[in-house]
Amino acid sequence: MDDYDKTCLESALVGVCNIVQQEWGGAIPCQVVLVTDGCLGIGRGSLRHSLATHSQRGESNRFPLPFPFPSKLYIMCMANLEELQSTDSLDCLERLIDLNNGEGQIFTIDGPLCLKNVQSMFGKLIDLAYTPFHAVLKCGHLTADVQVFPRPEPFVVDEEIDPIPKVINTDLEIVGFIDIADISSPPVLSRHLVLPIALNKEGDEVGTGITDDNEDENSANQIAGKIPNFCVLLHGSLKVEGMVAIVQLGPEWHGMLYSQADSKKKSNLMMSLFEPGPEPLPWLGKMAQLGPISDAKENPYGEDDNKSPFPLQPKNKRSYAQNVTVWIKPSGLQTDVQKILRNARKLPEKTQTFYKELNRLRKAALAFGFLDLLKGVADMLERECTLLPDTAHPDAAFQLTHAAQQLKLASTGTSEYAGYEHNITPLHTDFSGSSTERM
Amino acid sequence: MKIFSESHKTVFVVDHCPYMAESCRQHVEFDMLVKNRTQGIIPLAPISKSLWTCSVESSMEYCRIMYDIFPFKKLVNFIVSDSGAHVLNSWTQEDQNLQELMAALAAVGPPNPRADPECCSILHGLVAAVETLCKITEYQHEARTLLMENAERVGNRGRIICITNAKSDSHVRMLEDCVQETIHEHNKLAANSDHLMQIQKCELVLIHTYAVGEDSLVSDRPKKELSPVLTSEVHSVRAGRHLATKLNILVQQHFDLASTTITNIPMKEEQHANTSANYDVELLHHKDAHVDFLKSGDTHIGGSSREGSFKETITLKWCTPRTNNIELHYCTGAYRISPVDVNSRPSSCLTNFLLNGRSVLLEQPRKSGSKVISHMLSSHGGEIFLHVLSSSRSILEDPPSISEGCGGRVTDYRITDFGEFMRENRLTPFLDPRYKIDGSLEIPLERAKDQLEKHTRYWPMIISQTTIFNMQAVVPLASVIVKESLTEEDVLNCQKTIYNLVDMERKNDPLPISTVGTRGKGPKRDEQYRIMWNELETLVRAHINNSEKHQRVLECLMACRSKPPEEEERKKRGRKREDKEDKSEKAVKDYEQEKSWQDSERLKGILERGKEELAEAEIIKDSPDSPEPPNKKPLVEMDETPPIEKSKGPVSLLSLWSNRINTANSRKHQEFAGRLNSVNNRAELYQHLKEENGMETTENGKA
Repeated sequence: MDDYDKTCLESALVGVCNIVQQEWGGAIPCQVVLVTDGCLGIGRGSLRHSLATHSQRGESNRFPLPFPFPSKLYIMCMANLEELQSTDSLDCLERLIDLNNGEGQIFTIDGPLCLKNVQSMFGKLIDLAYTPFHAVLKCGHLTADVQVFPRPEPFVVDEEIDPIPKVINTDLEIVGFIDIADISSPPVLSRHLVLPIALNKEGDEVGTGITDDNEDENSANQIAGKIPNFCVLLHGSLKVEGMVAIVQLGPEWHGMLYSQADSKKKSNLMMSLFEPGPEPLPWLGKMAQLGPISDAKENPYGEDDNKSPFPLQPKNKRSYAQNVTVWIKPSGLQTDVQKILRNARKLPEKTQTFYKELNRLRKAALAFGFLDLLKGVADMLERECTLLPDTAHPDAAFQLTHAAQQLKLASTGTSEYAGYEHNITPLHTDFSGSSTERM
Repeated sequence: MKIFSESHKTVFVVDHCPYMAESCRQHVEFDMLVKNRTQGIIPLAPISKSLWTCSVESSMEYCRIMYDIFPFKKLVNFIVSDSGAHVLNSWTQEDQNLQELMAALAAVGPPNPRADPECCSILHGLVAAVETLCKITEYQHEARTLLMENAERVGNRGRIICITNAKSDSHVRMLEDCVQETIHEHNKLAANSDHLMQIQKCELVLIHTYAVGEDSLVSDRPKKELSPVLTSEVHSVRAGRHLATKLNILVQQHFDLASTTITNIPMKEEQHANTSANYDVELLHHKDAHVDFLKSGDTHIGGSSREGSFKETITLKWCTPRTNNIELHYCTGAYRISPVDVNSRPSSCLTNFLLNGRSVLLEQPRKSGSKVISHMLSSHGGEIFLHVLSSSRSILEDPPSISEGCGGRVTDYRITDFGEFMRENRLTPFLDPRYKIDGSLEIPLERAKDQLEKHTRYWPMIISQTTIFNMQAVVPLASVIVKESLTEEDVLNCQKTIYNLVDMERKNDPLPISTVGTRGKGPKRDEQYRIMWNELETLVRAHINNSEKHQRVLECLMACRSKPPEEEERKKRGRKREDKEDKSEKAVKDYEQEKSWQDSERLKGILERGKEELAEAEIIKDSPDSPEPPNKKPLVEMDETPPIEKSKGPVSLLSLWSNRINTANSRKHQEFAGRLNSVNNRAELYQHLKEENGMETTENGKA
């Protein structure tokens, strides 16, 4: 029977864990606020019991911490520090934060338990976890004060090499623009709304300009709505042109600004953060190497905007783009042999393809030390030669004999004939048609 | 993620001793006879691969998958061992590709079965492997240089995969001891060297391979710690496809890979082109592409059931792309892929389809029967990536529209002009290093920022804030003045533009002056020109420090522009409307201050607009998020004759009063379209006839 009338922090945390994952998946950061009186429960299901059995868990009854999503666990104790320290409660609660990889904090009440002190405790949580992130969006001399929501989280690139979490700048500087087709659905760490805000002289936020019908017509929001704002201009043009703005977030850290449509009518300026590093997107190359098109000899986008310098081609092709030879499955080998055979039967029309396939097989066989295959294919070609019909072109027989001979030589493995870079070339015969050569 | 984990350096040590030339005793039929042509012909005898061939092709397959998925920072050093060690390549990135390795292997050739077995040993290779692990890679070097005093943070770990034919378990133990000892010795050497690094951690993977049908003399042993530096595991595997399968499992373990099977790929049949069947293709990629699946189950990261999970593949369903629309998907990760069976027809069909530039969305079948798009396959520059698309709920649901926020009610943004600005400020890669005049390296991205700075020195955001950017006649000057340097031709064009404007002024041509924030009709013609000249001067002055040629443009402008005498100016100062120009003249002196007056001017304009509710009539269709204007009266007035009372010095009390009454009344009813669009109080009838006949209509001051 399940008890719902007793303190059982573990089941509560399991519940949170399930709900968050079902609703938000495993990638969205979540702040979990645990409000407790500091009592840990008794007997089975008490936090003491949970922690004591922590090391004996298997897959089925895994302890919910660390949460399987980016998280902060805030424990709000309706008790003051002295009360908690009188028992081992605080230690147990601290264990929880430790188990969540240190992500989180414990809050206690200063002074006696009363409404005012509880409010002040929650006030501290709000200051810590829910302060809006204000920044200045810049594009040369065009600027706008903005709030970035949700708050961008610090990011650790490599715990070993670069253990200090990177934090984004409060100056978000646009460095240039790229077509949506070129940026091509890049992977991002997180995405954020960029909301223009109106600041008064002291730098306090006056409003987001969102109109509220109940408010006075001349309210600050009304005015803010009617002051031209760079965000709105940028958003409009990004949307119309189908482009994104590349924005610098810090040293070797970039992101992109784009228009995101929520529905047909509503759309917004959004910012996505790339992973920090000199080259977050292989198809753009190194970010520092991106420069203005006016520095190029000719416009890389073409005079009619019909070309693009992106994506960048890597130096080496991947295996699936370079026709590699893999003979692990017999079918791979058989297909390659069949290709040679098919072309052999269409000599001399297919002379070029025949030798191309023959050389591909030869190279792989030499690399794998599979010399028996070369002998086998040579035998096969000789047999093909004997099977040629009377109507066959006389050149076919010459080429087959020549190819078989060359393969046999290569199968000896002697350096003279078994060079990897060496290619078998078609035999020049009186029939092979290069009349110019004979002259 | 750690860059310098054990996977940074992999050393393959493959036995090249005489016994490796023995057959694996697994036959391959290579002479597949085609029907109807081969009656009476006996196919050639099947052949079989040697242990060496099996080892080499399996390790090449391991490298193929690794290079496909990690083309950088994961390095292989290939060593062949017989009477000595032959190191086939180095840690440098240029040596890291299949072609290099294949060429080097071809040069080595198969083992010589007649060589003296006494001289040959795998030990030579293992010693060389330890030696090579101490050698620093270019990535380690780079990281150490960058970290300076923290250079010790750069780790040196590695893995040795040794494929051999061992005699017995004790023989295996001897090999392990040898590696252990060699590491000990080489770490001592490395401690006193700047070019070598001590090995912190080494994973030895010993693979004993033997011909099919033989009994294995070596037993399997899971990973065991032999010392704090060395762990070792032993796999006893039959040659042929068993060895290939083993290395395929290992590459997945070593590089945290996972498998996805794309199912339901429609493909034309080779024989019958008009029918199509559905195929499946299995791909490997980093396991993070499955992060949502892993987490939604009870498995969590670093799970213990390693072996088990590799047999699994996650099935995703192909969704035939319907449009070629370019969309920006919310993608949380992109991982390079490698097909398991790279040369099979379904695999190459899929990869070629993607390499040709099409993207495919993949659907995740759910138990509940609901369908959700969770991934996308797409190629970028000849590399195929599996993109993870966010399929869970967004925390940014139903955000306020930008038109509801700051600046959202403004309706005459220069959207088209800014679009043009963005196209001019697009980025392009500069792969070859460039140098500044002082010899220092020029960073292209800094150049891009410089250009943005120049291009925005004077850039009014809304149409009603500018005159010059609404004039076609100014374009030749405005487009070149922002440049870093001008050619003689540019200067000439600028001068021509200025002369042209002088000419326009002489002819008294109308200007597209905004009337926003002003009562009644706009300023007089000579004032219009003054506003225009002031603005042009602001623009040119903002760039005079760029070059001497920019200076010449300003000189020309100053010489040509008609400036009313000082007295006349003071006379006019009584009128409220003049404030704007006064301020603008001050601003001309320093473009840095320019913004502040724009702001105050903007605010003033807005306040007035708010009061007078003129805004509705001054909407420009340009801004996509603006509400549709109820009345499309042109924003900029091309008034032929300014109202008489305006031109007569100070405003009378009567006109003030009647103006006020008129505005108050105008709020109560909608003005007749005819009167609104009238010129000199005369409305032209049947205007649409003209338009329908293809006559040009002027709107927004632009033809």
